[in-house]
Amino acid sequence: MIVRIENVTKEYPLGEQTVCALRNVNLNVEDGVFLAIAGPSGSGKSTLLNLMGCIDSPTRGRVIINGKDVSDKDPDALASLRARSIGFIFQTFNLFPVLSAEENVEYPLLQFKELTASQRRQRVQHYLGVVGLSEFARHRPNQLSGGQRQRVAIARALVVHPKIILADEPTANLDHKTGGGILRLMRKINRRTGATFVFSTHDRRVIDMADRRVDLEDGEIVRLGVRRGKEWAYAMERVNDSDADNEEDDA
Amino acid sequence: MLTLALRNVFRHRVRTTITLAAIVFGVVGLILSGGFVQDIFLQLGEAIIHSQSGHLQVAKTGFQAEGTRKPDLYLMQNPERLKARIAALPGVTEVMARVSFSGLLNNGRSDVAIIGEGIEPEPEAQLGTYMKIVAGRRLAANDLNGIMLGQGVAQALKLRPGDPATLVMSTTTGATNTLDVEVAGVFQTFSKDYDAHAIRVPLAAAHEAMDNQGVNTIVVSLAQTHDTHDIATLLRAQLANEGLEVWTWEELNDFYDKTVKLYDQQFGVLRLIVLAMVLLSVANSVNMSVFERVAEFGTMRALGNRSRTVFLLVTIETVFLGVIGASIGVIVGMVLAFAISAIGIPMPPPPHADLGYTARIQLVPSVIFGAFVVGVIATTFAGMFAALRVSKIPVVHALRQAI
Repeated sequence: MIVRIENVTKEYPLGEQTVCALRNVNLNVEDGVFLAIAGPSGSGKSTLLNLMGCIDSPTRGRVIINGKDVSDKDPDALASLRARSIGFIFQTFNLFPVLSAEENVEYPLLQFKELTASQRRQRVQHYLGVVGLSEFARHRPNQLSGGQRQRVAIARALVVHPKIILADEPTANLDHKTGGGILRLMRKINRRTGATFVFSTHDRRVIDMADRRVDLEDGEIVRLGVRRGKEWAYAMERVNDSDADNEEDDA
Repeated sequence: MLTLALRNVFRHRVRTTITLAAIVFGVVGLILSGGFVQDIFLQLGEAIIHSQSGHLQVAKTGFQAEGTRKPDLYLMQNPERLKARIAALPGVTEVMARVSFSGLLNNGRSDVAIIGEGIEPEPEAQLGTYMKIVAGRRLAANDLNGIMLGQGVAQALKLRPGDPATLVMSTTTGATNTLDVEVAGVFQTFSKDYDAHAIRVPLAAAHEAMDNQGVNTIVVSLAQTHDTHDIATLLRAQLANEGLEVWTWEELNDFYDKTVKLYDQQFGVLRLIVLAMVLLSVANSVNMSVFERVAEFGTMRALGNRSRTVFLLVTIETVFLGVIGASIGVIVGMVLAFAISAIGIPMPPPPHADLGYTARIQLVPSVIFGAFVVGVIATTFAGMFAALRVSKIPVVHALRQAI
């Protein structure tokens, strides 16, 4: 089990009110899965992803990454954990505009003091090759297309050999064709390397490619699905009005 | 990180240029104003030296404290050996004797109380480059009956070059003596008060009128003003057991120290104002640039960087900005200082003075270094404040700023 979420509640203040983004969520993420977290806007997808990524902390409950409870770790320990165990892919790519593609990919490796410069360069070249951007290594982000930028971001996430890669709406800023290519690439990497991918998404295609799905609504998990061939087998399903709406949407 | 910081500095060229312009403006302002103040100190000092004091004065112990009232009690006889000893010191260009007296100057109709000096005309002419001759000429070695009048004395007695006058004074034995003189010239120094009472006659004429061959002071002129303290120390060591004391021009003119302190304080306030101006304008532009990049800092931290890395990155960027801006400021400031000095700034006479002067901008290493440091420190402080704020933003909030 690479991630365990135990009875996690996340509340945050909004003006004078307290908003509950997640309510008593329990979730296990197995090693090597391609998991899609789906749900309408405001359902808590990104909050759940942020908790898994140790960039946010739960109000109550425990988040266990790779067997270690991270709920009470200090910010520096969480930063170290993120550096070595978690890869991030963002909707807006979040590349450093002043660095070239290869420098962007190399950036997280600079914290790995045990790697020499040539070892870093080798790894960077390898992952730029994996995402098919070897010939664009010296290009800056503004010289790359949206799809190419997202490929650089994928290489950057992979280069640290993370336990888990978290992708927050990775196709939302890409056109249909490019988004499809990016998803196929990530799926290929998942199958080839066994890297765990967790997506928060609205994109139907992500859910179609996923082998696990979590449906969130109003901060609660309403469905946990496991792919069986082309169908979903639901380990847990709460039926209510909005589920019915979702089914209509899926159809 | 240094590469990243340097590239970030030149990321928004227009904004960086505006920020650099603010730093350059401040540093240039400090170099010019500091150089202007230093020029005031320099010109005032040189005016004092080359119109009145010389660089050093040697006199009998107690003369500078008490001698103006009773100069005849502090006379040195046969000063030639002492003059020769002093003249042999390295850096000394002229050594001359003076004798002081007081008395009345009469134009045939009225009297004016004067403070007189018997001087050696030739070396005094070499020393007195800041003494402006407004009418007539300087005293010459053969001017036994010649007299030079301060402008105030000449105006009070309506005397012009060529006019006769009578100098009434006491001999060292207390008898009254008179000396018929002819006005050779009228001088003006930086000090209006001095010019209102000062007259100068040849040393030989003063000796004759005082009926004594002694002198009160040995005035020393140096090749370089900055050697004053070293040579004073040397002389003090040599003359310590001879009942003589050595005074520097600064000790003789305590108002110089007061003036320096006053201007230094004013310049200190100006420096603080410039520091605040640079700090505020740089803070504004650094804030804008930093807060546009909040998502980037969020990404850095999501990728495992600690908040102090973000703080360090922004601080290094602003240090780079400060060093680049201050360096450009130093170069621009020096070029402007040269240009302004080449043209000169005509200045009106200072308070209690009649003589205006041409101001220049002195390039003083301490002022230039101070301006550079102020530029770098102001920029760094401005950046550190923004860096501190941005490094405290939670990662999740920072990432939400991504567009």
